[in-house]
Amino acid sequence: MMKLIYQLEHVNKTYKKGKVVANQNISFDVQQGEILGLLGPNGAGKSTLIKQMVGHLAPTSGSVRYKGTSVQTQTKRVAQEVAYYSQEPHALTSLRTWEALYFTGRLRGLTKESALKQTEELLERFGMLDLRHKLLKNVSGGQKRLIGIGTCLIGFSPVMILDEPTNELDPKKRRLVWDLIQERNRQGVTVILVTHNVLEAEQVVDRVAVVNHGKLLAIDHVGVLKQRVDQRMKLEITTSFGESDNVCRSLSALGQWTKTGENRIRTLIEKQNASYAIDCLTEQQLPIEEYSLVPPNLEDVYFHIDDDQDKPAKTEVV
Amino acid sequence: MEKIKPSMQSHDLQLQEAVFLQGHEQQSIIQRRITEWLILARIQFTIIREAWVWIFIMACMFPLTTLLFLKFFTVDPTPAVMTRIITGNMLFGLIVMGLNSMAQEISWQKHQGHFTYYSSLPIAKVNFIFANLLRGLIMSVPSFIILALIGQLAYGIQFHYSWGLVPVLLLTVFSVVGGGVLIGFWSPSHQLTNMLVQALMMFISFLTPVMVDMDQLPKILQWFSYIFPTTYAAEAMREVLISGWSGSVAWNTLVLLLFSLISIILILKKVDWRVEK
Repeated sequence: MMKLIYQLEHVNKTYKKGKVVANQNISFDVQQGEILGLLGPNGAGKSTLIKQMVGHLAPTSGSVRYKGTSVQTQTKRVAQEVAYYSQEPHALTSLRTWEALYFTGRLRGLTKESALKQTEELLERFGMLDLRHKLLKNVSGGQKRLIGIGTCLIGFSPVMILDEPTNELDPKKRRLVWDLIQERNRQGVTVILVTHNVLEAEQVVDRVAVVNHGKLLAIDHVGVLKQRVDQRMKLEITTSFGESDNVCRSLSALGQWTKTGENRIRTLIEKQNASYAIDCLTEQQLPIEEYSLVPPNLEDVYFHIDDDQDKPAKTEVV
Repeated sequence: MEKIKPSMQSHDLQLQEAVFLQGHEQQSIIQRRITEWLILARIQFTIIREAWVWIFIMACMFPLTTLLFLKFFTVDPTPAVMTRIITGNMLFGLIVMGLNSMAQEISWQKHQGHFTYYSSLPIAKVNFIFANLLRGLIMSVPSFIILALIGQLAYGIQFHYSWGLVPVLLLTVFSVVGGGVLIGFWSPSHQLTNMLVQALMMFISFLTPVMVDMDQLPKILQWFSYIFPTTYAAEAMREVLISGWSGSVAWNTLVLLLFSLISIILILKKVDWRVEK
């Protein structure tokens, strides 16, 4: 029987006497040992939500419980057991890289020997052993991020909450961070992570919660969410420079298009319409440089749910 | 029923928690708090280690310039006047550190988002504050010593250095630190903190008998000054430096202890550094 780590019930967070709504009626559970991904665009209310989960913000109404007890009444316990990586600037920039990890380990209650051992191991994993005596303010942004993530990894906290841990990291370092998260999860650590990197998160997360405009739009296992778009194919087009709007208009019959880049657009089409879509593309002689028709991934699920939110009749609010 | 990862189904909670406890120190709560304070103090020390020369120079600048100008503006100062000016400046440095710097430092850390790191760790709020205080004390010591040396060497004032100076010095700082911490934690913006502490500093330092004698103040301010710890700190500091420990110093020190306890209780009860309402 899995234990519940977090229980959120009807969590509302508002500012300015209710004029600004950050979170609206959010309810979900987090089970022990799972990796839950919180997805949503900037300003969706994800960071506000996790600040309430670590006890740094009090909900306006509703409850956030950690192992059955309100977070607000046990902030010390939550600080003891939950390692939190935030997007806030680093408080330890005057420290050397090894000191930032070592001191955090000691403050988490590690012995000198264990803190030193884990510091060495983490620096080695980060490929920063030769930078151990460098001040944190003098290393690159990515290396600072790694040390920040290291401060969550040191001391083996049973729960990790990571707010966009792979931001500003190069692909190699991103891979390393995902590997570390998965390793810890295999050791039993429950992980809640906020990320924009939906494609990479898909390989790691067990369940996904999609948040936008402060609301929880959907929460389920990746596979279950993907079934929502299972009968569809993703049509992605790279247009000539500045032609994406024209192409969208010309192909409006195929569905609702989403701009994913300067000259990139995409839509989801029913499988049985695939050949019709190809015919449209080839016959209309549109300014298209490249197109692909592939099965949807988690990112498409995310866009699908997010797009649906703008159509009240079809919105599926959890 | 939601799908559960196969590897997690057989997970034994107790075994898992044992893994998390590996390498953790088995200490009493007091030992744990002392270790924690020492580590936080080391973190604070790293902030000054890179620029200690500049910090030393800047810390000396204020007392030196103040003394210089006061000398110009005071015609034929008597030893009693110079003693008051010098001890007043020594005290002023301590109050600046305990109230002004503490409020600004905490407010700056709050608005920079540094609290997120500290409040995410299982550390006691008081330890965090006292670690900050230690850094402030280290930064105030140069000006304190320089003023004492100038007083002794340039003006021939014979200060009385006794162990009694230590509690007077520490309690002076502790008695005002609560105010600084409360302002720092409450501050809605760093600019507002700066303005507020500057105003408060002027009020406490110049409208209480820190730089002037009690009988030089208007009657209303004389009465008002009894509610500020700086009045007792000035009395105790002056007397302990000039004639050593006495009954009057002990009485003023006791009052400072009371102010310090109120200060610490205010920090413990009124400052919630983890939760933003």
